[in-house]
Amino acid sequence: MNFALSEDHEFLRDSAAKFVDEQVDLSPLLRPGADVSDAGYDQLWDKIVELGWSAITVPEAYGGLGMDYVDLIMIIGETGRTLAPSPLLGTLSGAWAIEKAGSEAQKSELLPKLAEGLKLALAVADENGAYDNMDSDVTAKPSGDAFKLSGTKSFVVDAASADKIVVSALNEGRKDFFVIDRNAAGVDIEVLQWRDITREVCKLVLNDVEAERLEQSSDDVWPWVRDRMYLVLAAENAAGIRMVLDDAVTYAKERIAFGRPIGAFQAIKHQLANIAGSAEGANAIVQYAAWALSEDDGQGSLAATMAQSYTSEHYKEATHRNIQVFGAIGFTWEMKNHLYYKRARCNAELLGSPASQREQVVRMLEQEAA
Amino acid sequence: MDFNLPGEDDPRRVKVRAWFEKNPNPTYAQLAEQGWTASNWPEPWGVSADAETQFIIDEEIVRAGLELPYTINAIALNQCGQSLLTHGAEEQRQKFLPGALACEDIWCMLFSEPSGGSDLGGLRTTAKRDGDHYIVNGHKIWTSVADEASVGVLVARTDASKPKHMGLSVFLIDMHSPGVTVNPIIDMTGNKNEYNEVFLDNVKIPADALLGREGDGWRIVMEQLQTERVGMTKPGVVWGMGPTARDLMDGLIKTGRISDPLLRDDAAKVYIEGEILRLLTFRNMTNRINGTPAGFEGSAGKMMSSPHGQRMADIAKRSQGASGMIRDPDVLPLPNKKWGMFSNWDYAYWFSPANTLGVGTQEVLLNVVAERVLGLPRDSDPTAKVPFSELSGGLAKAAE
Repeated sequence: MNFALSEDHEFLRDSAAKFVDEQVDLSPLLRPGADVSDAGYDQLWDKIVELGWSAITVPEAYGGLGMDYVDLIMIIGETGRTLAPSPLLGTLSGAWAIEKAGSEAQKSELLPKLAEGLKLALAVADENGAYDNMDSDVTAKPSGDAFKLSGTKSFVVDAASADKIVVSALNEGRKDFFVIDRNAAGVDIEVLQWRDITREVCKLVLNDVEAERLEQSSDDVWPWVRDRMYLVLAAENAAGIRMVLDDAVTYAKERIAFGRPIGAFQAIKHQLANIAGSAEGANAIVQYAAWALSEDDGQGSLAATMAQSYTSEHYKEATHRNIQVFGAIGFTWEMKNHLYYKRARCNAELLGSPASQREQVVRMLEQEAA
Repeated sequence: MDFNLPGEDDPRRVKVRAWFEKNPNPTYAQLAEQGWTASNWPEPWGVSADAETQFIIDEEIVRAGLELPYTINAIALNQCGQSLLTHGAEEQRQKFLPGALACEDIWCMLFSEPSGGSDLGGLRTTAKRDGDHYIVNGHKIWTSVADEASVGVLVARTDASKPKHMGLSVFLIDMHSPGVTVNPIIDMTGNKNEYNEVFLDNVKIPADALLGREGDGWRIVMEQLQTERVGMTKPGVVWGMGPTARDLMDGLIKTGRISDPLLRDDAAKVYIEGEILRLLTFRNMTNRINGTPAGFEGSAGKMMSSPHGQRMADIAKRSQGASGMIRDPDVLPLPNKKWGMFSNWDYAYWFSPANTLGVGTQEVLLNVVAERVLGLPRDSDPTAKVPFSELSGGLAKAAE
């Protein structure tokens, strides 16, 4: 038993913190009317590639850094804390799909490009946000050595920024994974008016788009990738809870009402103390999930699902309390409070609600008991 | 980072298990001889076990079918005994510790009074020096196991001319002394009483019953309360003791009640909270092993576990519907473990309002977290700086 970060972890976290503190600038988003096109969405990317983050969990055999998920969350904690706009989530998700569904040859061809800055996205959800739709999803038709994809996907993170997109599609009654070029003929991408304007979320309409099938596609791919995406969102959430807590505490010490800092009132103290508890709990469950996924531990999937559920629920609550502590000023577009409120809310819906993850948790426990 | 717990083949575990095989059904005195009833204490009382070794020893005690010593004699082994190692005289250690470690002398903690529990510094019980004795007068309440205890850890005011926190001292008293009257308090559960009130009427105690020096009381008491929080908090239903959310979920699945859609989501929520509390105990364990000062996880654990236990007991009760309103300890199936008094959900549920009262109310704990952890402005206590004897409102009357 050793529930402590190593010096290497701390070094990685501290250098990531230095980078985002110097480079992330949310001020263009705080002008009323701003949307994700004002976020400078790709501006950090070259530097992120230089730091190796785009290939951080790609195995060394494929030119990546081969680091584990505890290392990953040191980085994600910092990008999540600062809401750093960049196509990192889409790229990580696409890379995991290729790692799990690609043949040796496909992995050797695609994964090394991540270290050089290849941007990816992963399209799984349909227009209604369902991840398990077997009826009206994108379909794949054989066409010579390749396939042609047609249909609509939505809630695709980072699709407009991506160079290549991994798409799940129905092929002979199975869900297989395919790779398409973002600029291929028949690809139409619409950037959605996603409420979290620090993240690019898109709709994808495909019309006979040429695609390469990932040859190890199986039913195991999506749950495996989803657990890792849960971990990334949960790590963002945990860091976000800490951030909005710290901001609210600082404000409560400065803001005077009735002759005292508002932080002297128990109504405020108690709210903030409770958030401090959930910040500690969120941090613990995220680190545990990262460790369990890294070790291929039997509890990995359960841990990641619990982490996403718990942290989303508490991030929503913490960002709401944060606005309450700031008072009406926290309700304005010029303040960054709403960016966190929206990130929290959107993270809690992107891969299904916290309640749907709790349902997954109970099913896993029922299966274990059976 | 490594969340693997010591395995079946861990040499420390093998050694402890071999002893239990040679000594089936041992007495607590025999366990104490091995140093295992307070294994984290230094020799000769314990074996200076680090947190992980302590975890193994505790697991093996439970595996042998015994109740854990620190649930039987919690005040001695969890809260107060260690004060004797730091502040006690050697004669005090020799006199009090062997019986405590063998769980033969049960201890109780004479802290709270009718005038206040959370504001402990305002207590009114006095101990006046009289030659080679002190004479104690006062009224204590909410004293766990006072009716079974032979030793009382008493905090009393020895100097009312000082501000409230400054004039306090700690004594170890014989609960069978003349003038000590213990009345059980029948709490709302209707089960065997946990709490008592204790009247101290001209109780004559020897001067060498004083722990540390006169006036050290507040510091010693704060250390004891800290030990209580740092002591391994577990995700059990009442203050970390008793069944956990894992046991709740097992029971709901075994009985099929988990399929009730009105219960299912809440049960999952509580399960996840329980897992997080378990992780916080691991973090605490790691800090102790690494010699890192205890972090926030100690107070966070207590702050989160009290309402968690209430929610957990509520779900167990809800799963029965109206039939749960009939007195019946068989709420949900439970593993055959000796958890002490909270070994059934029915009792745990009716007891659970106490979760957020005992060891300081939840509200006071939230204040402590907000002020000491988050650094928010401290609530000022207008009575903190004034000599206790000058306080108005009758506060000091009993102290005269």
